Amino acid sequence: MNAIAIARKELNIYFSTPIAYVMFTLFTVVGSYFFLQLLGGYEQASMYFMQVNQPEMMNRLNFQDMIFRNLFGNLGVILIFIVPFLTMRLLAEEKHSRTIELLYTTPITPGDIVIGKYLAAISILFCTLALTLIYPVLLQVLARDTSGVEWHSVILGYVGLFLLGAAYMALGLFVSSLTDSQVVAALITFVLLLMTWIIGWAAGQTEGTMREFVTYLSAVSHLDSFSKGTVSLKDTLYFFSVIVLGLFATHRAVEAHRWS
Amino acid sequence: MIEVSHLVKSYRDLKAVQDLSFEVKSGEILGFLGPNGAGKTTTMRILTGVLPPTSGTAKICGFDVFEQPMEVKKRIGYLPETPPLYPEMTVRDYLRFVARIKGVASKQIESEVERTATATHCDLFIERVIGNLSKGQRQRVGLSQALLGNPEVLILDEPTVGLDPAQIIEVRELIKGLAGKHTIILSTHILPEVTATCQKALIIAHGKMVAYDTLDGLRAAHSGAVAADGTPGPALSLEEIFLKLTSA
Repeated sequence: MNAIAIARKELNIYFSTPIAYVMFTLFTVVGSYFFLQLLGGYEQASMYFMQVNQPEMMNRLNFQDMIFRNLFGNLGVILIFIVPFLTMRLLAEEKHSRTIELLYTTPITPGDIVIGKYLAAISILFCTLALTLIYPVLLQVLARDTSGVEWHSVILGYVGLFLLGAAYMALGLFVSSLTDSQVVAALITFVLLLMTWIIGWAAGQTEGTMREFVTYLSAVSHLDSFSKGTVSLKDTLYFFSVIVLGLFATHRAVEAHRWS
Repeated sequence: MIEVSHLVKSYRDLKAVQDLSFEVKSGEILGFLGPNGAGKTTTMRILTGVLPPTSGTAKICGFDVFEQPMEVKKRIGYLPETPPLYPEMTVRDYLRFVARIKGVASKQIESEVERTATATHCDLFIERVIGNLSKGQRQRVGLSQALLGNPEVLILDEPTVGLDPAQIIEVRELIKGLAGKHTIILSTHILPEVTATCQKALIIAHGKMVAYDTLDGLRAAHSGAVAADGTPGPALSLEEIFLKLTSA
């Protein structure tokens, strides 16, 4: 109940400052650019197969593989750029303006603070992702001649994307709890998230167990099975462990602040 | 109501509070006096559970602030040095939020917000965004926030800072009116404030208690030397007593 009160306050602030609106706009602008690019590619491919008269190739074309898998991959990368700005002020700002004293002197627990703030952050993430639902809806409405959008796979892709963003936000919240400077929080979160992406590139240079390990660490790699329309326990577990770890570490940091 | 015994707070080499003991009875207003940096804010932060003491104990309504912080937090209203406000929110949204986290029953939130806002005259600008308020208005929102939930104990850190003379008198009257119903600790370095509102004063300097008495007791103890014929010397003003005690 107290966590809900904290979440409502955070959402109030998100929507009374430009930050939520700016993030919604940026995410949809960049997302739309990728969507149009991928749609163009799909169009070209289908035109080509029609010209060379290869119906079996035409049948293989589908929105999921040609558009949404790539789109979700790209959106997952954009999240690396927007999540730091959504999580930077959550705790750093409270410490900087000393409003954290209010939270420490009222009968709420550090758990309420962490959960409340996290709930608010993932609600913003949810809204951001929901705005991009316009792409599959547009395709469904306009592309009448095809088999349409595979909604099952698209929704699973969104679930994967949400889990990825939620894991990023848990890390961002933790970083925000360590500093009282929003800029420092945003920068460290950004570098941390960037590392979870580029570490995947290193997988190509390693072999055997090391390779599997490095691939497992890379956050974006866990998104792909969702975009393919499958749920894998390994990937779900990965996201949930990052979320739990991030929230647990934040809880410790919020509690430890009292002993400084 | 408030019992503090042998409280010590040190930061590495710096001793912010040294062996502080005092007691405030139910319904009393204690003036907590001292020059800047004397350890007033540190003591208040320990009492409210923001900081842990290095040693010693503090009890509020019979609950140890260190052992049972939740019970203590349910019973105190705290106005820190800088009012803990969210500049993006309106006064009403902010007060509702504080009422919620203080555990005010959801049906009473609106009336409770209305009550404290009216008492501090925040109702005049209740729909405005806090970031656009003047310093005095913010101070009143901070005071209003401390009163939410009708806590038994109020801990006010320099409540009249930034107010204009008319508002200062108003806030003093408000605090006086709260005596009896609430137990109050009020810190300040403005002496007339103590004379105007408090029954007892505690003076600290460099983290140490230098005087703790009723106002009359302080005046009596520090009046001039008794003359040869037995008549007491000229009485010192509170200012003079304060300077004498804190400069030592």
